[in-house]
Amino acid sequence: MFFWQLVVSGLSIGSLYALVALGIVLLYRTSRVLNFAHGDMSMISTMVAYSLLTVAGVAFGPAAVLTLAAGFALGALFYFFVLRPVKEATLLGQIITTAGFSLVLSGLAVVVWGADTKVLPFPLSRAVVYRIAGVSVNQVALGSFAVAVVAMLGLYVLVQKTRFGLAMRAVSQNDVAARVLGIPVRRVFAVTWGVSATLGAIAGMLLAPVTLVNPSMMFDPFLKGFAGAVLGGLDSLPGAIVGSLIIGVAENLFGGYVSTSLRTTVAFLIIIAVLLVRPEGLFGHKFMRRV
Amino acid sequence: MRLVSRARIALGLALIMAVLAALPTAAQERGITPTEIILGTTAPLSGPAAPWGATARGVEAYLQYINEQGGIHGRTFRFEIRDDGYQPPRAVANVRELVERVGVFGIVGMIGSANAAAVRDYMFRNEVVWMTPAVESDPWIGNPDIHYLFVTYPNYYQEAKILARYAVEELGLQRIAVVYQNDQYGMNGLRGVRDALAELGMAPVAEVSYELTDADLSVHALRIGEARAEAVILYATPNHGAMAAAALAQLNPRPQILSSFTLADPVMARLAGPAWDGVIVPSYFPYPGTDEKVDRVLQILVERNPELATMAFNALAGVTFIEPMLEGFRRAGPNLTKESFVAAMESIKDWDGEILRGVTFGPGRRQGINRIFLSRMVGGVPERLTDWIEYPVEF
Repeated sequence: MFFWQLVVSGLSIGSLYALVALGIVLLYRTSRVLNFAHGDMSMISTMVAYSLLTVAGVAFGPAAVLTLAAGFALGALFYFFVLRPVKEATLLGQIITTAGFSLVLSGLAVVVWGADTKVLPFPLSRAVVYRIAGVSVNQVALGSFAVAVVAMLGLYVLVQKTRFGLAMRAVSQNDVAARVLGIPVRRVFAVTWGVSATLGAIAGMLLAPVTLVNPSMMFDPFLKGFAGAVLGGLDSLPGAIVGSLIIGVAENLFGGYVSTSLRTTVAFLIIIAVLLVRPEGLFGHKFMRRV
Repeated sequence: MRLVSRARIALGLALIMAVLAALPTAAQERGITPTEIILGTTAPLSGPAAPWGATARGVEAYLQYINEQGGIHGRTFRFEIRDDGYQPPRAVANVRELVERVGVFGIVGMIGSANAAAVRDYMFRNEVVWMTPAVESDPWIGNPDIHYLFVTYPNYYQEAKILARYAVEELGLQRIAVVYQNDQYGMNGLRGVRDALAELGMAPVAEVSYELTDADLSVHALRIGEARAEAVILYATPNHGAMAAAALAQLNPRPQILSSFTLADPVMARLAGPAWDGVIVPSYFPYPGTDEKVDRVLQILVERNPELATMAFNALAGVTFIEPMLEGFRRAGPNLTKESFVAAMESIKDWDGEILRGVTFGPGRRQGINRIFLSRMVGGVPERLTDWIEYPVEF
């Protein structure tokens, strides 16, 4: 029973890592840019949610919608005003730009919201625990898992079933050819950045009841999401989900049975082991063949 | 022409020498001028231990009040705070800057056993006055270099022993577990619990450590549940303490948490919510709301920094860092030097301050206090459980 308890708890946190990972992979697939500011963008969105809920006194539902909109805007604006102007830079240059933007955001958060820890008013409670087949799950974990699954399905529909998704996939395969065919490549990039940041905003809000809200709240979840993305294959959306769930469950099992102090290390050892055998990640190769 | 020029240089050099020689002797003592005493600290104003940063703000507000009263023997205080984010490398850089560039007379407080360990040798080598680093006591015990160090801060190891004994002997609990931070702070707590239980012929049923980078302590709570622990002794930062309490509250039956006094602040009830209800926590000075003098000081602090109202215990703890030092300055008189300050501090015997009570120093005694009492937190309000519990004086 302890085993299943660890697995369920690992899936719950893993689903939040997956939301982070999806944001990273979505961008990587489309633009080959690894966004090191992803965690801090999520943190800023969560801070916006905090202000809406506590200072402005907005109800949770509207505040959540406004936060997602703010997250989308942050991502799209970053593309237009920061990354677009440095388009002549090499890919590495663009990646370093995101790393710099990450520092700007964390500094901004300290200046605007302060470095102290805050509590995000959340409609679900961790103290309410359900027991399902002998395994206990709290309301926040259950709710987060449900929201994460809905967000993933939404992303699947967007990428696979809409004209816009088709354009995204076209740009990711060959942006020059896509432009020649009349696809508005810049708009596709901007929306991709927006959607990626929105996924981050969802992850940030769902993590807030667990990690509490402060400028460094996304540090660990970003690393784990990144690890999940690498494990699953950086250009595979299903890979990001599977990789993140594996990370969540593996670190819980190791923490539960062996040691909590080397828990994070183990997550990275798994990645090294997998990458030695499959450098493209668990699902990366499959996607590339489809290309 | 050349000769004249040389003569001028010689004259210039002689003038510089004369000016240097004529400088007042007070300038030889770092951080003391005829009108000012410069003090400093490094504190976690950001990061996982940010609520503890309120101690530095408490010192700042209290010194502002002392300055408004005219200072001590005609000298007012300048207090420089640097943020280290609870990271030892940043603490080292901050302390070096405070000593070498700002030129402080002493360092007041400093949060984090790991941070203090990183600057310890530097402080001793440079003979910097150090007032109550808020850290473990081990490095001071039997150490010949602590001439300029004075501590009025409980000993984690002894506190953990008292908590473990209380859980077994007073609460009648048998299965005791420890959740601790994987550094000197947490290890001191773990060692205290192990030793106290060993004296009772028992051992912890689970010893679960966390890392400062951990953002989720669910698996730690699951291990406590699997060990069927009845009590959990907690050595954590405010953020991780709140995360641990929230995760432990999901267990059925829910274990009794006994926390280090480092989490005595009502801010914990805000961070952890109802999960903090019923937590047993020690203190080494009376809580606000239970003592007139303490209430008056809190009012003084809050009037000067309204944000401290929500972090009352931590802000007052800051006052406990500086309070005996101010008494030392009063006793040292107007001719203040480092040595006259040390002699004045050593004359403090069974002294009651506004917050701290029963402080004693002496030649060869640097541990100013050796007692705590336990309370139970209900809705962020402490209900006192025990009288003062004493432990040995060790340094």
